[in-house]
Amino acid sequence: MALLSRQPWYVATALAVPILVLASPGALKLSGVPPSWAVLWLLPWALVEGPVSGALAGLGLGLMLDGLNLGGASQIPALVLLGWWWGRMARHGPPLERSFSLGLLALVGTVLLNLSLMLQFALGGSSLEALRLSGLPILLAQTLLTGLLAPMICSLLLLFWRQQTSSLRG
Amino acid sequence: MAPGRPFRVLSPRLLIQGWPWLVLLLALVGIRLSKGAFLSELYALLSAPFWPGSAQKEWVTSAQQLSDQIQLAQLRLDNERLRTVLELNHANPRLVMAPVISREPGGWWQQLVIGRGELQGLHPGDAVVAPGGLVGRVASVTPVTARVTLLTDTSSQLGVWVGRTQRHGLLTGLGTARPVLRFLEKDPQVRPGDVVVTSPASTLVPPNLTVGVIQAVNDKAVPAPEALVQLSAPIEAVDGVQVMLTGRR
Repeated sequence: MALLSRQPWYVATALAVPILVLASPGALKLSGVPPSWAVLWLLPWALVEGPVSGALAGLGLGLMLDGLNLGGASQIPALVLLGWWWGRMARHGPPLERSFSLGLLALVGTVLLNLSLMLQFALGGSSLEALRLSGLPILLAQTLLTGLLAPMICSLLLLFWRQQTSSLRG
Repeated sequence: MAPGRPFRVLSPRLLIQGWPWLVLLLALVGIRLSKGAFLSELYALLSAPFWPGSAQKEWVTSAQQLSDQIQLAQLRLDNERLRTVLELNHANPRLVMAPVISREPGGWWQQLVIGRGELQGLHPGDAVVAPGGLVGRVASVTPVTARVTLLTDTSSQLGVWVGRTQRHGLLTGLGTARPVLRFLEKDPQVRPGDVVVTSPASTLVPPNLTVGVIQAVNDKAVPAPEALVQLSAPIEAVDGVQVMLTGRR
């Protein structure tokens, strides 16, 4: 498939992710923790576009987001893996459309993303005590928030992109 | 007194008739013994409407503030002169005001993005202060923005000084709102409420900047005691910061 990635305007929507990360709107935060915007954009993209484009989009997002933070851990591995997994899932199964399954996928994806960051910080020398104090609340808050937002944002994006893809194809 | 008349003591009748005078006498003795308590109280009660009011209090407070400010300026000058004589790190670097354009104190990375950069003379390592005290150090700069590592980030480590007990410690971010202060000796003799400032011997940041207040001390920690520090600058609320241009490299 990968029809969307030939249209520069659809690729450019990915720029919303770093902009939202930088702006970090206060209304969409849970105890100071923002949702994972990368997951919210990557999920519909990968579901429409397939594994290769999904993994590449994950790589691109990861590169942008790693440039925006202080370092110490990278989001690239988790995002690439998620993009590939979601793309495969859409290719090899019945099409995912229900809000509930989108929410569940986003929830699992955010948990994996946060666990990968936690693992990298732990390998980088952070104490387990510090990770428990700071990391666990972030993981819980971000997972909950992303899971709640996914049915709204992801299903709209998915619907829109599916329409565009079918009109591009037909 | 006529001669021959027997010496007469006060007759009981007279005593009974003059009882008000006796009571007055007793009251005066009471006043004397209480060192004039009754009179003072009475005077205070009567003069209360004429006591110094809020206006006088304001004048005195403003005079006190003025005196404090003048003294602070004098001490700053003096400190600067002495540091120049001793060839220590200078305490009064050039300040650049910068707006906070992105704030992420809640996620995995505790950072700010501010709207001043290399063009305004910022360098990585410059100290960043907000109303209230030090908040962090510049991590990287672009032409018009700079990324600030907050003191609460796990990558932040800073030598600090507890003024009351004159002990050094290492302030390390935990990723939570309160960084931990690790002391270098077994018995740092600190207690909650002690003020933490940047180390006078610091080469990374200007000396004697306010950092925060010790909130809790953990004596059981190994190898040396630890303390949780509440930062004095409200990081969640600051919209503008000042960058101290000390980077000489």
